[in-house]
Amino acid sequence: MNYEWRTAFGYWHDLVHAASTTIQVTLLAFALAVVLGLGAAIARLSRFWPARFVAGIYVEVIRNTPVLIQVFVAYFAAPSLGLHLTAFQAGVAALGVNVGAYLAEVFRAGLRSIPEAQREAARVLALKKPSIFLHVVLPQAIRNVYPAIVNQFIQILLGTSLLSTIALPEITGTAMEINSQTLLSVPIFTMVLITYLVLSNIASLLFGLVGRVAFHPPLEVRKVSKPRRLGLVLPARVSRGR
Amino acid sequence: MHWGVVTENWHLLSRGMLTTLELSAYAIFFSTLIGLVAAVMRLSRVPIVAQVARLYVEVFRGSPLLITLLFVYFGASYGGYELDTFPAAVIGLSVYEGAYVAEIFRAGLQAVPRSQWEAARILGLTQPRAFWHVVLPQTRTIALPPLVGQYISLIKDSSLAIVIGLAELSREGQAIVDRVGQPLPIYLAIAGLYFVICYPLSVWVRVMERKSRYS
Repeated sequence: MNYEWRTAFGYWHDLVHAASTTIQVTLLAFALAVVLGLGAAIARLSRFWPARFVAGIYVEVIRNTPVLIQVFVAYFAAPSLGLHLTAFQAGVAALGVNVGAYLAEVFRAGLRSIPEAQREAARVLALKKPSIFLHVVLPQAIRNVYPAIVNQFIQILLGTSLLSTIALPEITGTAMEINSQTLLSVPIFTMVLITYLVLSNIASLLFGLVGRVAFHPPLEVRKVSKPRRLGLVLPARVSRGR
Repeated sequence: MHWGVVTENWHLLSRGMLTTLELSAYAIFFSTLIGLVAAVMRLSRVPIVAQVARLYVEVFRGSPLLITLLFVYFGASYGGYELDTFPAAVIGLSVYEGAYVAEIFRAGLQAVPRSQWEAARILGLTQPRAFWHVVLPQTRTIALPPLVGQYISLIKDSSLAIVIGLAELSREGQAIVDRVGQPLPIYLAIAGLYFVICYPLSVWVRVMERKSRYS
């Protein structure tokens, strides 16, 4: 048993290498998702109905079909439309387009949470339309939905595991490869599990720091609110006063 | 594009869709059960019980479903058990989505005022009865919309059972593509089938959310 774990641990170098691919895909896909999501959110709130319509179709179709199928379309089906993507490009495109649709809803909720009075006040101060949006509405909107944005980033990070199905050598694909060579499934997948946990916790920690620095007033993303005990399970002391 | 491949292979696609629905139904049932238990444990007064539930939720929300599925399927054979793909997919999907369901139930349970508990207990209801008949029903308006949203995710996520070789909808599609080519019509048809399952549920979620906002 000990020997097997040591053998599996010998592959840590491969996993680190794979993790760098995972991180690259995650960052690029997140950038794409933010652009698409913001664009779709603005389009869905516009007065121009064809823009609303197209953005609505994008969001509904993407949100109601599996991301795996979207990856397959980007990698296996796009070439028959003359669009040849490498596994890396297809992965970035599919994850970016997928999470973009979720971010569109997040951004839309954020933009709608800003009271009309903010826009009116900015206009009274003679700000032009683009700078009203960029300097008044958008920062507040992002602040209001920041935790949901962080969640979507984590979804991309975990979603990169799907790219093992199109033979991209990211963490999960590499682990499956090692598993089929060594049959050490439990030690290998335990290592991978821990790698993902470390990555996702680092990501939310970093976003937490950014949230504290970038917003005014500072934003506490990881609020350590202790769950209120309901006194379930054992023991019930109902008559105890507060 | 030849849409003929879709109609020619319709029996395979419909068989895959039935497997997807069956897998999703089992996983929805078990993930709800696991999620409810984990939520109650998380709110327990006993610290160890609460910490175990917290660890469960944190681990599965911070790791990909694929790893859970691979763990269950290959881990079973590593431990010397023979596990079929279907039960492996049900177990993996239920345990993973259960962590998300637990958070939804926890939010719902925490929104119920403590006085509801106290009133129910003073009226002589036992603790399980107070939970089942007084507290749990009151979580409905808060917990049901995100819960159905989670079920939609679960149905879409069931496509990942492809990696352990379960012949659900996306695996059947992949097999057809491997045999006759034509990836575009096949994968679009599969996306359409998932859409047909998920979109009505999404609309239902939106209606519920709108109702609870105005009431």
